[in-house]
Amino acid sequence: MAPGPAPCTVRSPVVLQVGDVKTDLARPGVAIIDVVLPPAQPLDLQEIVFKNSYTAFLTVRVQRRRPCDVGREGARKWVTCLWNHCLMPSPHTETGSQDYFSLFRHQMLCDVDQVTAVRLILRQPSPVWLNFTLEELRLYPKDQQSLQTDFPTWLSHLAPQQQPENLHGGIPDPEKVSTEVQQLWVLTEMIHANQTAARIGRFDVDGCYDINLLSYT
Amino acid sequence: MATCEKRRSAPAPATGSGLVEPVRAGVGGREPESEAEFLLQAGVTSMVREALLKVLEARPEEPVSFLASYFEKLVLSGAAGDRHGQQQRLARALWYVRLAHHSHRTAFNNNVSMAYECLSARGRRKKPGVNGKIYSELLKKICQDGEVPEEVVSSLLRKIQCRDHEAVPFDVFRYGVLSCFVLLEFVAKADTLYDVLDDGSGVADKRVCQAVLGTLEDALGASDFSVPIRYLEAGSKLGPDCLALAMDKALLERKICSSMNREEFLTKATALFIAKVKPID
Repeated sequence: MAPGPAPCTVRSPVVLQVGDVKTDLARPGVAIIDVVLPPAQPLDLQEIVFKNSYTAFLTVRVQRRRPCDVGREGARKWVTCLWNHCLMPSPHTETGSQDYFSLFRHQMLCDVDQVTAVRLILRQPSPVWLNFTLEELRLYPKDQQSLQTDFPTWLSHLAPQQQPENLHGGIPDPEKVSTEVQQLWVLTEMIHANQTAARIGRFDVDGCYDINLLSYT
Repeated sequence: MATCEKRRSAPAPATGSGLVEPVRAGVGGREPESEAEFLLQAGVTSMVREALLKVLEARPEEPVSFLASYFEKLVLSGAAGDRHGQQQRLARALWYVRLAHHSHRTAFNNNVSMAYECLSARGRRKKPGVNGKIYSELLKKICQDGEVPEEVVSSLLRKIQCRDHEAVPFDVFRYGVLSCFVLLEFVAKADTLYDVLDDGSGVADKRVCQAVLGTLEDALGASDFSVPIRYLEAGSKLGPDCLALAMDKALLERKICSSMNREEFLTKATALFIAKVKPID
């Protein structure tokens, strides 16, 4: 379960600021991180993983390769696939400021196949933080399944999902039945786990040495 | 295995310590030196030590009766020691493998290897190994002492038996013996389960039985995920809630209400177990 992240280039954040960067005292509230994917291999995006560093809201836009605009390099459009996703519930306080986040395909507003570039727009409205960015940014492609994708359904309701109330009379005590059946299961699993690799070394098919099958030719 | 661990977790040398004390006390003094010497000469020291080791390995629920049968066996095998007939060796091997419960892994493995050696020894210091005939006979004997239906035993044996002339490697031997013991326990548990299912009436509803066995089969055939997840999955499937739902659903089906007798239930349950036993090849 260690899918490799897709190869990509993460550019350093560009801060958007009104006025002169050096003289203006106001802190910037928006930064942009561009991620460029190798043009030869567009990415079917499955998951974006990163560690937050004091970013309050995140917007993700992607550029996709469409069959229709092959040849028109300049015409590619940016589409927004995640809009003001909240990373810090209250921007002035620490909560969520250094958490790890995973954004999944199903959270996206549009489909994210054949992605050629990703642009992350970071917003931090609170002036109390000196700077804000995202760290350890990784993109995971679709075919390499991450842990979340093969998450079995039964695991999400290990706790009794629906209390069987309206059981009809006449069934045996489920607690007792369960205890016994689980013991049967344990015994069977045990014999399964104890299997030996040793072999007798039989190589004949059953019955092939039957006297009637032997011939003198 | 949780059930087996319930047996006796604390060491049980209570009865043993009284026995071993005089031996130790004798070593130091001048006068009692002859006592210690006597014990050594008569082989009592090593014999008692061996017995204590067996008690510690097996941790029986009733140490006294365990020791009693141990010494009784010792006497019998001593008397028959000269002849070393095949039946004697078989009985001795059988006794070894029954000494410890299979959940005491080390003790059980030790005893199985003792049994293996015992079976492979033959007169005139030859060690020809264990052949399929005596191995199969041992397995049959092991299976005899539970109340296991005949056809169940034979369907297990068909999988793990060797042919008479084949030489049996130790691993195969161990696995075969273990399978038999686990089968015995499985049948006993399935029997208890039937008692729960029939609610004291003596006959259980066929639909309920089938629902329970179906759930068990489902949990056993669970996907090939990594091991811890499989255990969780089986746990969730075999929980009281899931079982209650399955049984309830089965009862609601509009089928003719028939019953399943104990034999049939045991056969069907053990079929699930035997399917997981690896056949010898």
